[in-house]
Amino acid sequence: MYNTREEEKIHIDWITVIIYILLVAFGALNIYSANSTPEHSSLFDFKTEYGKQFIWIGIAAIIVFFILLTDANFFQFSAYGIYGIILLLLLALLATGSFTAGAQAWFKIGAFKLQPSEFAKYATALALAKFLGTFDIKFIGKKNIMICFGIFILPMALTLLQNDTGSALVFACFFLVLFREGLSGWWLVLGLYLAAIFVFTILFPSLYLVGFILIICGIVAYFFKSHKQILYMCAIIFVASSVFIFSVDFMFSKLLQPHQQQRILVTLNQDVSEYYKHKATEFSLFKIDTKKKDEKKSKRDYSYNVRQSKISIGAGRWTGNGFNNGTQTKAKLVPEQHTDFIFCTVGEEYGFLGSALFVLTYLFFIGRLYFLAERQKTVFSRVYGYSCASIIFFHFFVNVGMALGLLPVIGIPLPFMSYGGSSLFSFSMLLFTFLKLDANRVHEINRM
Amino acid sequence: MERNHKLYIFQITLGVIGLIFIVRLFFLQIVDTSNYFKALSYGSNEVTIYPDRGTIVDRFGKLLVYNDAVYDLMAVPEKVKNFDKVRLCKVLQIDTFDFNQRILKAGRYNKKVASIIYKSLPINIYSQLQEILYDYPPFFIETKIDRRYNIKGAAHVLGYMGELTEKQLKAEKYYKPGDIKGMSGLEKGYETYLRGWKGRKLVLVDKFSKQQGSLAGGKFDSVPTTGQNIISSLDLDLQEFGEKLLANKIGSIVAIEPQTGEVLAMVNSPNYDPNLLVGQTRSKNFGALLMDPRKPLFNRAIKAGYPPGSTFKTIQALIGLQEGVLHPETRYYCSRGFHLGSLTVGCHAHGSPLNLENSIAQSCNAYYCNVYRSILDNPKYESVQDAYIQWSKYLNSFGIGVKTGIDIPEESTGILKKPAYFEKEFGKNWRSANVISMSIGQGQIGLTPLQMCNLSATIANKGYWITPHVVKAIGDNKWLPEEFKVKHKTMVESRYFDSVIVGMARVCKPGGTAGRQGIEGIEICAKTGTAQNPHGEDHSIFIAFAPKDTPKIAIAVVVENGGFGNTYAAPIANLLIERYLALDRVVPTKRPDMLEKMLKANLVGAAIYNLLKVDSTLLKPIIPLKAQ
Ligand SMILES: [Zn+2]
Repeated sequence: MYNTREEEKIHIDWITVIIYILLVAFGALNIYSANSTPEHSSLFDFKTEYGKQFIWIGIAAIIVFFILLTDANFFQFSAYGIYGIILLLLLALLATGSFTAGAQAWFKIGAFKLQPSEFAKYATALALAKFLGTFDIKFIGKKNIMICFGIFILPMALTLLQNDTGSALVFACFFLVLFREGLSGWWLVLGLYLAAIFVFTILFPSLYLVGFILIICGIVAYFFKSHKQILYMCAIIFVASSVFIFSVDFMFSKLLQPHQQQRILVTLNQDVSEYYKHKATEFSLFKIDTKKKDEKKSKRDYSYNVRQSKISIGAGRWTGNGFNNGTQTKAKLVPEQHTDFIFCTVGEEYGFLGSALFVLTYLFFIGRLYFLAERQKTVFSRVYGYSCASIIFFHFFVNVGMALGLLPVIGIPLPFMSYGGSSLFSFSMLLFTFLKLDANRVHEINRM
Repeated sequence: MERNHKLYIFQITLGVIGLIFIVRLFFLQIVDTSNYFKALSYGSNEVTIYPDRGTIVDRFGKLLVYNDAVYDLMAVPEKVKNFDKVRLCKVLQIDTFDFNQRILKAGRYNKKVASIIYKSLPINIYSQLQEILYDYPPFFIETKIDRRYNIKGAAHVLGYMGELTEKQLKAEKYYKPGDIKGMSGLEKGYETYLRGWKGRKLVLVDKFSKQQGSLAGGKFDSVPTTGQNIISSLDLDLQEFGEKLLANKIGSIVAIEPQTGEVLAMVNSPNYDPNLLVGQTRSKNFGALLMDPRKPLFNRAIKAGYPPGSTFKTIQALIGLQEGVLHPETRYYCSRGFHLGSLTVGCHAHGSPLNLENSIAQSCNAYYCNVYRSILDNPKYESVQDAYIQWSKYLNSFGIGVKTGIDIPEESTGILKKPAYFEKEFGKNWRSANVISMSIGQGQIGLTPLQMCNLSATIANKGYWITPHVVKAIGDNKWLPEEFKVKHKTMVESRYFDSVIVGMARVCKPGGTAGRQGIEGIEICAKTGTAQNPHGEDHSIFIAFAPKDTPKIAIAVVVENGGFGNTYAAPIANLLIERYLALDRVVPTKRPDMLEKMLKANLVGAAIYNLLKVDSTLLKPIIPLKAQ
């Protein structure tokens, strides 16, 4: 027993561990910056967010310690069990939610709020890895694909029902894992194409869009006149796209309530009045009654976050204002800065040089995880590794993209950095379970 | 190999996203500076730091005007929310309704710019507010300055400060609502020197919590530039003495140091206490002063054009001499006046004929009717009009009919008609006889007391004058604009002044028109004048300079409804000259009789009666006027 652990310790990927420690520490620094005031500047003031974050970090260390002590086979063995428990917890939340005022995303245990959706990603990663690991085959059949989809769509749906859209979207990252495991890349392309069309339909008059696709298809068809297959493809793409555009347009313009429309528009960083303006043009099939644009105010609250976020990051210039000196940060002008908008603090206090270094470090970290995942000898470890890397990747991409104003405001935390116990625990578990599996790789080799 | 291929796809994707993010960061942080500047303004209260306005001292360093701090409670209306209104209102001692009105009013001007919520906080409220303001981040206190006066007079020279109108605020971006600016006098003329330049401090403010100190360690703060102190050319002692002498009369005194053009005293009566136009009572008092029928705000010294009366004979003589139509020994007969056909200009009884010197000393009207005719009918010129134009040019070279260019604003040119005026009045072929009253300074001619004094100074200088100015030096390096060092040569050559000066020297000697108003031991050169006043008693006018050979002071005195020049204007001028030349100012006057008479005289009642046709005792003073 003693010997095995000794060997495992040697084989743990220290590069990843060091970056993990750096990210957690840097996160704590930024939370301190975002929340400390001259009156509350003591490091261990547990009434403050940063004080609490220190507690969470301590607990996370203990969790990590226990994970490293656990036998590597335990995770594969109990994957379905963990998955089942999380599903039950999510269901239980929905049930309590229906008793109380509205949908809730957490359990309250004493002073702590436990967010099962954070752990659901971990459980889903385990379950998916276990499922794919059971067939040690390269080809996944249609039926199995459906089961794979089911494994992550189930918790995704339950999370969505709690109105936690951001967390629900994260489950889409399992597509990436399936792509690695043999799912055709065309699925990803199709998914991206439909998402793009959906967004453009809302942003531009629908007839413009249809015309644009017609021109593109026409040009392609002209160059490949002799290839009948491509001609058919162009025709199918054009017809299918048009149908999709009109149905989206119809749903959006006619079926949704104005406030629902506005919410989506705001998520897309769109000026509501601009939308109504182009909806009133003759190039729109479904004209909107302009009297509907009453509830304009909600727009401001969403776009406010993005505007403030950009200002805050922009204030950093080359080298930033320095630790604990961000003016926007100190003024608490960006809402949710210590959680979802923690990147603003990085941008403002460490400037372009600091932020760029941070982005590169983080991407190196994720790249390292993909590299580790690829070198796994068992399908279970590999799938789990890809899941782990993809979950962190999706969070990073959406979170930073949102803070930079490139992506719609979707409230998901930046792993290891954002304030919050649930998120820190779940990401630490996710990561160290993988590192434990990776360290155990040697034994897998020996066993083989 | 298929596996590695997919790993590359993942890692290339990471690389592409990294590139996109870094390019975006570069755009947000480096290229687009607007975010940076928005950050500066969003996260802070811009507190204006008002510089000390320059103080004003008199020519001997006696403090006239200084500053006092006033505290305004400011707020950006947009940011005012989420605070304990009741507590704040209690400290401010206003009710919440009033408070809301103030916020609304400030918001109407501009929601995003800090406006005054409570102007000039009383000191007890201010100190209480300082203790609790910590809890009200959108609110801050701005320390502004207001003027305080060490004196009760000289109001017209110093001028007053006032708030800018909305129109002025739009035109002059330097000022914010609630700022005060020099609105008249020296305060207006030297506004840019006196005010300095505002500084600012960006104070970082938490949206919902506390004020958090200077932004970025004061990186964006700017230090105010203190206004420059001004040494006025005024002689406070002389100024105050002049005000005392002119009390209860309507009129004006201007005294100038001839060699430098420095204004030693500029007295207006009625005047007002400058302390009335400061602080919270400024607008109320200003309204009252503006409505007062005695026009206390009116700066007669530079704005009122009086017919110069016989003092004008000095310049007529000088022009005649230069034009060659008059010689010092030219004599004209006077039989109780000048007679030309049906035209008669009366004169008093005196010996006849007189030469030039005596014509001035005894102020013969007939003499100057002849002089003026000879100027206008000079065969050298094709027409009377041409001669008149030339004559006007002479006057202009003395600063008459034009602005002298004194450094306090809104100076008047006085009255000097163009030939066209007379054509309209008397027809195309008007003659010298039509304008003969101007020969003795009556009719269509008007000089401000400043121009009269400048005339006196020019004679004292024998032919040049320096633009009168009330500022002696500006700032620490005692700087003076070049324009106040330039000698303006008149069109009359220096040599022609002697006989006029000799004549003027006889005025205050036995036989002269002010023979009884002279002061022993001082050689005063002077000329009396009596300006006909169609509305009542004539105005008493006197110009003088002294001592004769080394003139140190030139003076002009106008006392409205004061009658003959020697009645009031001459004694007042001579008493002032006596005091000025007695440098220690403690020597008792040699003419206590004259001093007592002047101090006692009260002409305001008569003047008010003339003005309003009501008994002045019925007019209650709205604001106690100075020295009443
Ligand atoms: Zn006579």
